Order: sequence, then C-alpha cells, then structure tokens
Amino acid sequence: MRTPPILKIEDLRTYFYSRSKQAFIRSVDGVSLEMAKGETLGIVGESGSGKSITALSILGLISAGPGVISGKIGFQSDRIQKDLLQDLGDFVKLTTRDGKIMEVTKDVVGWERNAERTMSEVRGKEIAMTFQNPKSSFNPFTSVGKQITEAIRLHTSIKTEQGAKERALAWLDRVKIDSPRLRFDNYPYGLSGGMCQRAMIAMALASEPSFLIADEPTTGLDATIQSKIVDLLVELKSELGITTMLISHDISIISRLSDSLAVMYGGTVFECGPAKQILSTGSESKHPYTSALLTSIPSAENIKKKGYLQAIEGDVLDTINIPEGCRFYSRCNRVTEKIRDKCARQEPDLREIEKGHKLRCWLYFD
Amino acid sequence: MTKTILEVIDLKKHFTHRKGLFSFFKEQQQSIPAVDGASFYLKENETLGLVGESGCGKTTIGRTILRLEKPTSGKIIFDGKDITSIPTDQLRQLRSQMQMIFQDLDAALNPKMHVRDILSEAITVHHRISDAEVDKRISDLLEQVKLKKSKLSSFPHELSGGEKRRVSVARVLSVGAKFIVADEPTSALDVSIQAQVVNLLRQLQNQIGLSYLFISHDLRVVELISHKVAVMYLGKIVEIGLSDRIASKARHPYTHILWSSLLEKQSKETEQKAKSVRAGRWGVFDFERPTAGCRFAPRCPVYESRGKPTICTDAASEPRLKDLGGAHQVACHFPL
Repeated sequence: MRTPPILKIEDLRTYFYSRSKQAFIRSVDGVSLEMAKGETLGIVGESGSGKSITALSILGLISAGPGVISGKIGFQSDRIQKDLLQDLGDFVKLTTRDGKIMEVTKDVVGWERNAERTMSEVRGKEIAMTFQNPKSSFNPFTSVGKQITEAIRLHTSIKTEQGAKERALAWLDRVKIDSPRLRFDNYPYGLSGGMCQRAMIAMALASEPSFLIADEPTTGLDATIQSKIVDLLVELKSELGITTMLISHDISIISRLSDSLAVMYGGTVFECGPAKQILSTGSESKHPYTSALLTSIPSAENIKKKGYLQAIEGDVLDTINIPEGCRFYSRCNRVTEKIRDKCARQEPDLREIEKGHKLRCWLYFD
Repeated sequence: MTKTILEVIDLKKHFTHRKGLFSFFKEQQQSIPAVDGASFYLKENETLGLVGESGCGKTTIGRTILRLEKPTSGKIIFDGKDITSIPTDQLRQLRSQMQMIFQDLDAALNPKMHVRDILSEAITVHHRISDAEVDKRISDLLEQVKLKKSKLSSFPHELSGGEKRRVSVARVLSVGAKFIVADEPTSALDVSIQAQVVNLLRQLQNQIGLSYLFISHDLRVVELISHKVAVMYLGKIVEIGLSDRIASKARHPYTHILWSSLLEKQSKETEQKAKSVRAGRWGVFDFERPTAGCRFAPRCPVYESRGKPTICTDAASEPRLKDLGGAHQVACHFPL
C-alpha cells in the first residue's frame, strides 16, 4: 500500500489586496500538490508565479491581508497529523459572483491567533524553511551561533545552553563551514553569501524537522559556490532522507535534486509529475510553458550555433486581471486553430495524462 | 580589419581602507588591490565577456574604464585616444560615446522620475536638440528596445524587471554610445526575461554595431553572447581567449573549475568528471592579503597534485599572461 502523502495541499488560495488598484492580487489561485515521504519536489516558475507565497502559506507566515482565504493543507508526519489550515472557514467569508471571488471578509486577528496555535508545534519543529535571502533573514544584531542555539533550545528537547551550543557546532560542521567554533560568534554581515546560506541550512535542520522548504537556496551565489550548496543538499538528502520542497527558478538545480517537479504559472500549477519525465528532452507531452522555459536557457547547441535564444515574449501574468481561459494563452506559441477558441474562453483543469503526470493544457485533452 | 575600440594596459585600481581614529597616518591605511594589472583589448562590434566570482573586481574594471573611478595606474585607450587622465570637462563629451548599464536598476533609475524624463534627461544632457526632436528620438528608442509607449508615463517601480532593463538600455542608446559596459544585465531576471534581454542586446549589436564589455557571472549567457571571454580571479585576469575555447579547452585550472561547476550542477553523469578536477580544497581566501606568487595557488588542484611546487608561491614569479596562440592567453605556470 502506498504510504499517505506527508503533505497534501488542496485548492490553496492566497490573495492580497491592492488598495491603489482596488482589486485582489491572486498570488496563489488554487494550488493542489502532493508530496510523498522522503521525496524532493522541485517547484519552478517565473518570479511572481506564486512559488514563495505557496511556501509561506504552508507555514502560516502571510501577514498582509486578506492572506490565505481557502484551501486545505494536510500534514502527516510521524509525530503530527493535522490540517494546517483547520477552522479557516470560521474566520473567512467569501462573497462570490459568477464563480469569481468579489469580496473577502476575514477576521484576521482571530485567524492569526488560531494559526499560531496550530502552527506552534509545527513551525520550526516539523516544517523548517530556509529563506530566499539568508543575509537579511538572520537577525543582524545577534551572532549566527546564538541564533542557531536559540532555535535548538526552542524546538528540541535540548534546553541547556551548553548542550544546544554543542549541537549547533556539530551542525555548522556538518554543513561544512570552516572552523565552526570561530564562525559561531560571527555576525551575519561577517559571513559570505555562501556561508550565510550554509548557516541558514544548519539552523533549519538543527531541530531535525521532517519537512524542509528551501526557497531559492542558490540564487545570488557564484557558480562555484552554487555547485557546493547543491553538493551539500544532495549529501544531506541522502543522509537524512528528509522530505524537501525545493523552490528555484534555476532548472539545472531542480533537475539535479528533484524526484518530482511542479511548474507554476500565474498562481496555479501548470504541470506536475516525475522530474525526469518532464525534463527529458525526448518527451513530447509537455506543457507549452514548460518547454518554452526549457528552451529559453542557453543550451550547448545554441551556444555553438550562436543562435538567438527562444524567449517567451510578453511578461509574466498580471495576477490582478486574470484573463478568462488559459492563463498562458497570450504568450503561448503552440495554440492550434482547433483549440484556439477553448484556450481563450475556458480555463483547462489539471488532468492526469500519463501515470503520475498531470498537466493543464487543452492541447493534450481530447 | 576591424578597428580596436578599447585597449586597457596594465590597469590598476587600489582602494585605501582606513582603520581607526588615527588612520590619516599613512602606516595605518590599508590598500586593497581591487584590480591589479589588467590588460586586454576590445575590437569594434565585438563583445568581451568578463567572468569571475563576486568580489574579484569585475565591476571595478568596468567603472574604471568609464572613468567613474580614478585609475591608480595603467593606461586606458579609447578610440585611439588616451583617456586615463583627461580632465573632467572632456569626460562629459566622452561619456556620450561610452556608457554603462548598471547592475542594480532600482538604484540606477531615479524613483521619482517618469520613464520619459529619465530618457529625455539623458538626451538633453549630451545633445542640444528641440523638444520635438527629443520626442521623436524617444519614440525611436522605444521601438529599438521594444518597449510599449504607454510605459513612458510610469515610474520605475511600476515596471517589471525586464522592462526596467529595457529602459536602462534605451537610456544608454539615447546618447549614441558605441561602447557599453553591461554590468550583470541579466542577473535577477527569470530565464524567459533573461532570454529577451540577451536577444535584445545582440540584435542591437548587429543593427548599430555596438561593442560590449559584458560583465556577468552567468557562464552560459557569457559563452553565448561573447566573442572573447576574460576570466578574472582576485583582481587579475588569469585567462583570456575566444569564448568557445575558454569554455571547452580551458588551460587555467580556475577557468576549468568554473565551467565544470556548471556541468556538475546540471547532471549526475558529469559529476564524476568534474569532481576529479575539483579535488583541491577550497580554503578561505583573503583579498586584503593575497598570497605571494600565484593568487590561486591555495585553491588550486594542480598546485596540490604537483606536490606544491615552490614556483607557485614564490613572490618573485607571479605568473603573467602568456600567449598560447590563437589569441588565447593564460597566466599559469602549469597550464592544463
């Protein structure tokens, strides 16, 4: 029998309100994902496609309004089984017209209090996250070692200062920071970008969570340092067997680390399935957006030919005015006459076309 | 034969770092060699890619060539004219021919100016033309960089990353520059938008015959866009050559590591191949006190595997760029 998924997101919606435009920004608009225990799920997509907001929603870290307004996030680890968004319905009232959400009334204070109660035993202990910009996510006024120690004392059974310090040092060593004893007392500004990223990973893993969210672990780092961080992640993955959600817009990293892959665009999942199957060059059944993303990376042949890159024309979808029909329609280069009408009018749903491989495109639906 | 538009000879830029209250005493000032003797040339209508880790002095080279920083020593010859120490009043004239696309666009575009004002200011600073002509010039520019006309009345913060890039490219073109230093023009952009910007830069090169000094740490983009590539390490150029030779037949260990780290990230199959080269330990390097002799020696796998030859760490014999033929130069005692 298949083990139940450790994380199951169903129809997650996270909206923000733009006062100047008087409209909702639909950052995450109906995301459904499933993650099996021990697997690494890579999430790719352009900026603004809702990758990070999905991650923050899982951890209940969205503070601007209205925030998470509907959905279910089932989390099932060895220690804890619960819906991270439980009782959400009690605090949110949605007014819909023609299937569109027109107004949201949310008891933000009540919901946050409820979320804090639910998340207190999950966040940091069960689900840990490394943030996009490690340099600015550390507290600049406290030494890195102190911050890791604090996390350990808060989240694990080790409560003594000395014990926590030992553990922090062990983790700093494990993420291959040179002379951890020396670095322990460093402030974040004294660490290089790569080292900060390592310290961040150490801090996230020190409390031995069963689920890790790594948000853009390699952006802004040099190529040589990037490959080191990837090395480290590969090593930790095989040693700890931790379930990881890896967010990145660098497809080469995703292809190296992930077992499965989800491609996001405009707040929804466009394609998900086994990473190998989606990324292999031979496979024909690919979402037009996925293949466009892949061809816009300079490939070896392209460099040899000195050809122009195949760019996706236009800009990332404006999530305020989501068009009727497919979200990618205006930029898609594979619309055929047969389905043009459907693409413009009706939004495709996420359907399974092969075993374990789902996508959202009329091209593959008969 | 095409003309050489830019020649840089043994360019040095040292910054002084003051420490403590009594730093005005010379002894307490520390000199940081950000660029320490770089020489290269760039032909018209060509692109020279400049790669290296952050902090190795790529941006400083670009800024010094444009005379945004005062060079410590060396020579910069632009269009047959020595511009190393020309006075500031002549600099303005010069700047209409050489321009820079800055890395951080949020800082480079005035947040309180409309796109139209940003562009028209650049034009009117350098050319005295009527308002009607300015308008015409702006609409030409927009067409060149493929930006919508409606964006003219937006503020920079209302634009997306790709659009901001286009505005900065338009601003550079507006003054009629021939030589452009593009400092990380594709960093912090999505792959799809990155492809748009790279295509735009190359189209412009073909149309108006621009020359670029393309600074980036995205190796694949550099390889694609550049005719020649220079690899920097701690303020020195360690290897320079045609881009396909640098990528596939690198002779300097550092270049080799750079390009193999790219492969390694991509797939497991190339991992072993890359690991064999990357056997050397990666110590922490100190920019303020570079090691004597070859700067790369503490991190170099060749140095390690050859049993730490003394020539590498001998202060008297720092490797110089040696010609290997085919416009390929490398600064290493034991090229691969």
